Amino acid sequence: MIDLFSPMGAARALLPEIVLSAWALLVLLVVAWRHRTAADCRLAGWLSAAGVVASAAALVWLWSSGARSSGLDHMVTLDWVRFGGAAVILFSAFATILVSIRYLDREGLTAPEYYPLLLLSTVGMLFLAGAADMIVLFLGLEVMSVGVYVLAGYDRRNPASAEAALKYFLIGAFASGFLLYGIALAFGATGQTNLQLIGAQLAIGPASLMARLGLALLIIGMAFKVAAVPFHMWAPDVYDGSPTPVTGFMATGVKVAAFVALTRVLLVSFPGFDQVWQPIIGVLALVTMIVGNLIALAQKHVKRMLAYSSVAHAGYLLVALWPGTRLGAAAVLFYLLAYSLTTIAAFALLGSLGTGGERDVRFDDVAGLARRRPWTALGLAICMLSLLGFPGTIGFIGKWTILQAVLAEGHYLLPVVLVITSVVSAGYYLPLIMSMYMKPEGERPAWKELVLAQPGAAIVFATIAAVVVFGILPSGIVDASLRSAATLAQTVMPMAGR
Amino acid sequence: MNGFLDSLNYGQWILHALVLLPVIGIPLVLLAPERLAKHVALGVTLLTFVVSAGLWWHFDPSAGMQYRTAIPWMPRWGISYAVGLDGISLFMVLLTTLLGPLSVLGSYRYITERERGYYALMLALLAGLIGCFLALDLFVFYVFFEIMLIPMYFIIGIWGGANRLYAAIKFFVYTFFGSLLMLVAIIALVWKVALATGELSFGYDHLLRNAAAAGDLAPWLFAAFALAFAIKVPVFPFHTWLPDAHVEAPTAGSVILASVMLKIGTYGFMRFAVPFFPDVAMGDPVRTIIVVLAVIGILYGALVAMVQPDFKKLVAYSSVSHLGFVMLGIWGGTLASVQGALMVMIAHGLSTGALFFLIGMMYERRHTRELAEYGGLARVMPVFGMVLTLVALASIGLPGLNGFIGEFLVLLGSFGRYPAAVVIATLVVIVAAAYLLGALQKIIYTRLDRPENQGLTDLTFREVLVLLPLVAGIVWMGLAPGPILRRMEPAARAFVEASAQTDAPAGRTVLGQGEVAP
Repeated sequence: MIDLFSPMGAARALLPEIVLSAWALLVLLVVAWRHRTAADCRLAGWLSAAGVVASAAALVWLWSSGARSSGLDHMVTLDWVRFGGAAVILFSAFATILVSIRYLDREGLTAPEYYPLLLLSTVGMLFLAGAADMIVLFLGLEVMSVGVYVLAGYDRRNPASAEAALKYFLIGAFASGFLLYGIALAFGATGQTNLQLIGAQLAIGPASLMARLGLALLIIGMAFKVAAVPFHMWAPDVYDGSPTPVTGFMATGVKVAAFVALTRVLLVSFPGFDQVWQPIIGVLALVTMIVGNLIALAQKHVKRMLAYSSVAHAGYLLVALWPGTRLGAAAVLFYLLAYSLTTIAAFALLGSLGTGGERDVRFDDVAGLARRRPWTALGLAICMLSLLGFPGTIGFIGKWTILQAVLAEGHYLLPVVLVITSVVSAGYYLPLIMSMYMKPEGERPAWKELVLAQPGAAIVFATIAAVVVFGILPSGIVDASLRSAATLAQTVMPMAGR
Repeated sequence: MNGFLDSLNYGQWILHALVLLPVIGIPLVLLAPERLAKHVALGVTLLTFVVSAGLWWHFDPSAGMQYRTAIPWMPRWGISYAVGLDGISLFMVLLTTLLGPLSVLGSYRYITERERGYYALMLALLAGLIGCFLALDLFVFYVFFEIMLIPMYFIIGIWGGANRLYAAIKFFVYTFFGSLLMLVAIIALVWKVALATGELSFGYDHLLRNAAAAGDLAPWLFAAFALAFAIKVPVFPFHTWLPDAHVEAPTAGSVILASVMLKIGTYGFMRFAVPFFPDVAMGDPVRTIIVVLAVIGILYGALVAMVQPDFKKLVAYSSVSHLGFVMLGIWGGTLASVQGALMVMIAHGLSTGALFFLIGMMYERRHTRELAEYGGLARVMPVFGMVLTLVALASIGLPGLNGFIGEFLVLLGSFGRYPAAVVIATLVVIVAAAYLLGALQKIIYTRLDRPENQGLTDLTFREVLVLLPLVAGIVWMGLAPGPILRRMEPAARAFVEASAQTDAPAGRTVLGQGEVAP
């Protein structure tokens, strides 16, 4: 039991965040002295990786000690949703750092400030995923976003990178405006900023227009962050222009944090407003799935295809959010893990390819990869199958939990659209496999300068192994996601071995 | 024999071994030296076949579903790795395990590059197919149903003919589309049943007992199941992927595709789609649609086959025709018609498999499949000519060979319900004779007028070894179908009874009295 109102209690509850913040400052300090050579840059990378491990250790300690709040969740929560989300975020950060070490070397980006920025935006994500209060939620979002804005523009010599940063910053500021206005209206309607208290307040009175408007603005603000159509316009350019490890980080960490926060806001603060938010989420999910998949189909470059595919996956996640039940929340959490593992590995492998800028890797450029680099090709193929949702991979279990959550409610439109758009997605995931395995080598093979140093390769291997192992034996994680979701939504369901 | 098998506890492990053996073989093949990979694959598939052969004796002909075992997989969701075998799946499994070593042996010369990958995929494909026939849990069935797409996709896409990329993706997308909609239907059915009975389970028996809970949703669920299986069969008009896939696939790929994979579709109708929703399936609009499509398929496949200049395409279209008979038999609704449908499935597996092997052997010698390129081969390749004649006659349905008995039973058993359809289908048998005999004539009879053909060598020992079991099976099935019919009878009878319940489901649990979980 932790009393969140006492300073000591708050310190204990925030230990992972505190460790990581302190470590980021420490790395910044080290970098102040040593920032000239590539070796310095590597040192900063390894230090940061150690920091993520330390923060993860604090998280494990907190989680395994069964910490619970003694009263109200004040400012931050102490539940499995936060812990699970934080675990995925920390893993994403860890993998990104390990992959970046070699990547920055190759691209000649020796500016070690990269790593403290990455750590600080990870701190923001942790706060966002664990926020129990609108204020903390907003602060977390901003800390996360500011770090990522800079990272997106990190490749100074590349105009596309600068464009990505500017675009992301302007649209992000816009989205923050929506969110802040939504928070203000929710506060206006209830006089509270704590998520639980807002929920309690709203449960008493009739649904006021102000509260509804606040809810809508909150959803719009979050929809920007998760790149749901029609608020996705920034995503392809930003994902495409950023350095590839950063893209992987944005596509996973940001999405996880934002989706956890959105799920929490909807299910904790606005559970009685499902007539208001269900149609919005449903429509967003529909258009996101359809538009994301159809545009991805038209892409010639692998990175841009992955960018649009991540929009499509935001659509699937919205489908999981739609029911607002425990099963649905569990599906959101499970799918976030499934999607993150796969996407991290896919972007890491993509970043290791390239003929002077992997941004230009077209589908044809990986032709013949399976002969030259069989393991890289196999890894990418598994990632594509997992994104496609093919049995034997974690992506399938993810899609299956989503379908189950929605079908259990007796709703059929969203699942049918989900599977049909999944078939469409075969039209862009499979050509990559086809190119790697079935076509002869092209003129501009992307594997010529393939680099994947040991740390990066190890983490990619571990991630892909997890994609397969959890695809075959998902029981433990499914149970954990259900248990996590219990803090968000309580619904009775027929279930074996309950 | 049974005493010996029992002393090994045969019934305890056989079904698991059938799936596990090929799976264990995959790393063995991948780790073997490139030159030995095919021999390892042959060893694994032979072992699988030998092990499975015991089922012929050990299987209890008087009982229904046997060898049931269930291992909890995801207990929380009511999913277990449940398998079982009855008279329907027995022969599909035996057909698969028989064709396994033959396909490997038949690929020895055709596959010359990336052999390890090829044979590993072949084993994965066999494991998926066997698992599909054994599964008694819908989740497990779905996983196997999907998983076999990937090896086939690669086999067509890497080792296929000139237009292989197009064929591979067409095959994949068609099948994937159907199966994903089926996934939605499976989950929807499971939850309908779970909400009605209070037990969440993907187990086959639980769903079969309580499928009436689907209520108004039943037509939609049936449609989703039927679409998935109809694409696989393929029922006209969903057949367009088949000629492409068949023609582009390497020989062994075509063999497995035609002989076993298509049967997953008809098997799915018999195991899942019809027994779950008998009222819909045997009810009026659906029944008419299916029978009409089956007859169109029979007729269309035969007519299109008649004008094919490419022998492989000809056989591919003849599959559409044969599988139409199976569909007609399933909907015939009598014991004779259902047993006939099963017999056609087995017979088509043997004879079409043999035909594709023969085509492959021709192709390896002349690198063309155009009928016009051949002629008079009987003179230079007498053994080849003999086998081809026999297999073609079996495929046509000559009494005494295996094609006849199945088609005869289908026609006999369906006549009561669909006389018009039977009359048309019977006439098509003549067309079948026309296209196959025509092809036969063009290839092995007429004059040996092309110089390229004069130097062709007859079948090698290895090739005879590939064909011999199939030919033996064709003759034996044709002469003595009794033992086979006897073994499939309880399962066929159960299917007929399940599908005959068109009105009040007397035998099934009425809603609200759902059984409580054990």
